[in-house]
Amino acid sequence: MARGDNRVAPISTGAGNILFVAPAMLLFGVFVLLPLATSLYYAFTKWSGYAEPEWVGFANFARAFQDPVHLASYLHVTLYIIGTLFLEVSFGLVMAVVLNSDRFGFSIMRGMFFSPMVLSMTAAGVLWAFVLDYRLGLLNSVLRSFGLDGWAQPWLSQSETALIAIMFVSGWRFAGFYMIIFFAALRRIPRNIYEAATLDGAGPVKQFFTITLPLLRHQMLTCILLAVTGGFAGFDLFFTMTNGGPFNATEVPATWIIRQGFDNNELGYATALTVILAVVVLIVSLVYLRVVERANVVRY
Amino acid sequence: MKHSIGLLTGCGLAILAGTAALAQTEIRITHAMSSGAGAEAFNTIVANFEAANPGVTVNQIVFDDDIYSDTGLITQLQSNEVPDIYFQWAGYPVARDVEAGYAYDLSAAMADGWQATFIDSAFSAGAGTTVDGKVYMVPLSLDITNTIWYNKAIFAEYGLTPPATWEDFMGIVVTLAQAGETPIIEGNNELWPLGNWASHVAARVVDPVKYDAAFRQEMSFEEAGFLRPLEIMQELHNNGAFNVDMQGLGADPAMAGFFQEAAVMHPIGSWLVGSEGDLAEEGFEYGQFDTPVIDPAHPAPDSVIGTITGFVVHAQTTHPDEAIAFLKFLTSPESQVIWAEAGAISPVKGVGEMAKLGEQMQGIEAMLAGAQTMVPPPDTTYPVPVAEAYYQAAAYAASGEKTSIEALQWLDETVTAMGKQ
Repeated sequence: MARGDNRVAPISTGAGNILFVAPAMLLFGVFVLLPLATSLYYAFTKWSGYAEPEWVGFANFARAFQDPVHLASYLHVTLYIIGTLFLEVSFGLVMAVVLNSDRFGFSIMRGMFFSPMVLSMTAAGVLWAFVLDYRLGLLNSVLRSFGLDGWAQPWLSQSETALIAIMFVSGWRFAGFYMIIFFAALRRIPRNIYEAATLDGAGPVKQFFTITLPLLRHQMLTCILLAVTGGFAGFDLFFTMTNGGPFNATEVPATWIIRQGFDNNELGYATALTVILAVVVLIVSLVYLRVVERANVVRY
Repeated sequence: MKHSIGLLTGCGLAILAGTAALAQTEIRITHAMSSGAGAEAFNTIVANFEAANPGVTVNQIVFDDDIYSDTGLITQLQSNEVPDIYFQWAGYPVARDVEAGYAYDLSAAMADGWQATFIDSAFSAGAGTTVDGKVYMVPLSLDITNTIWYNKAIFAEYGLTPPATWEDFMGIVVTLAQAGETPIIEGNNELWPLGNWASHVAARVVDPVKYDAAFRQEMSFEEAGFLRPLEIMQELHNNGAFNVDMQGLGADPAMAGFFQEAAVMHPIGSWLVGSEGDLAEEGFEYGQFDTPVIDPAHPAPDSVIGTITGFVVHAQTTHPDEAIAFLKFLTSPESQVIWAEAGAISPVKGVGEMAKLGEQMQGIEAMLAGAQTMVPPPDTTYPVPVAEAYYQAAAYAASGEKTSIEALQWLDETVTAMGKQ
């Protein structure tokens, strides 16, 4: 048998194969490319959603860069992402390490810690809005029952505490998710590395920083990417708990877009803000991936 | 054979029933009356209409108020199956609907004597129900969008009476705050509740021409003299007037808070009366007074703030005759008596005398009768983003987040940045 006879036939490049990809391409075109193209068009118009759109060139984009609330929304989302990196990723990592044991009860604790993930974000937001309510909320009721009336605060009604409250709820919701990712990776680290380190006299803290963290680097980078991109897309918690208030103190790009589009009937401007958000997320993701790519290069 | 005859008979009956169903005309009406006495009254009127018109059924598509105004209405107006009739606020929204081609010209229907059944001001130039002299809205209610409701028992406890002047009002606020009460509860997370009141205050102290020019972006708010109303909001804050969770509280929970005695006064619209049955305890006594005169030298020192709400027939309706017939039934004196007794102010002549109105609604009627002018809320008269910006500036000053000067500066910068609306 000639050598060439054993080769797998190359994937055909004939025009007939276009037929097989046509349904997928059609769906992609109709539901992804077309909306993207029309969004780009509407971003250059003044459009209330009621009357016909009116072409205004770059006016919406110029306005966006002068809109103090819009600019502040990026500061808020950055703070939120930093907060979530600490409360979700870091705390998830710590919990994964602490609960990395087969002893009795640890699997139940892991399950309990993961359980908020089964709630939808909207349900979690509504639930915590009740807990943090100034008048009837659980938190203030507990504080008052201990005689700490002065500590009872309108957590979601004052600028100083509203964003922190949302970060806390987000941490409560997602830390378990990151814990599971880290926990799965921890289980794959060979035990003999730790045994060797112990024989060499390394304590648990040194083992964590010299063995655990370096071997979790890939998972860490993935989790950071998820937290950053998820943070930019953050909407449901903000919408259900504060809707951007008080005084735009928790306004993030997504809530500001919704407010412009549907409260103020400025769909053209809202679409321009959406285009800007998409570009920002794309740039952040590309920069991040580039940095990660460089970090993964093995130098000899 | 016997089975075959039975089957044929059954089929025949089914066809007849189907034909009858096809003969039934359905009109679709969308609105935001989701609960309370108003919704009950509306359901009663719909049931009466269907009983009087066996060939017509009314399908109500009901939304929560905020959802209706944000996304509920616009998606329906642009859908393939439009509602035959939709609820709307008079003024800017009606003009916008006419421009977009959604509103049906009701002038011909009104010309047969229907228009004469309404009070004259319902179709005046400033009422917002007409555009270029043509009628596009059937008025259903005169909504006072802000007046001050107060708890009679707490007023009596501190020996207080409704204030005659703004100074008296501030005195009441100070007395209550020093006694540890929350003088005023407001749920302002949507900005319009306090915004309506702050607009009314502005309309009482800012020159009317400049007031209009500022909201039309023809003049800055600073030049128009809006520092004064913002100073008043700041003064209220300094005197401890508002609940501390004002900016995080919704309008409905704030109303519930008033009925549950969490505060002494509650500035909100006349629709509060319709929620009394759902929210107030038995024996809860409350009264109403309008914002006292602030500047007696102002051209309209005792104006009231309000708007007309009503129904618009969609221009693409396939059942215009049935839709108009329903609206005529809805605005007949008999139906309007039911409507008014549920806590609404009817725009139909004579209904005020025919209906058995409660003390609160009688007070509102008296206030309307005694007012020189009615000013509309900015968010139904001017571009919404401009109105919302003023509402937020007022909230800044009223909560102490910014001083009145900072709030005014923020307002002008924000309105400038948004460009001409």
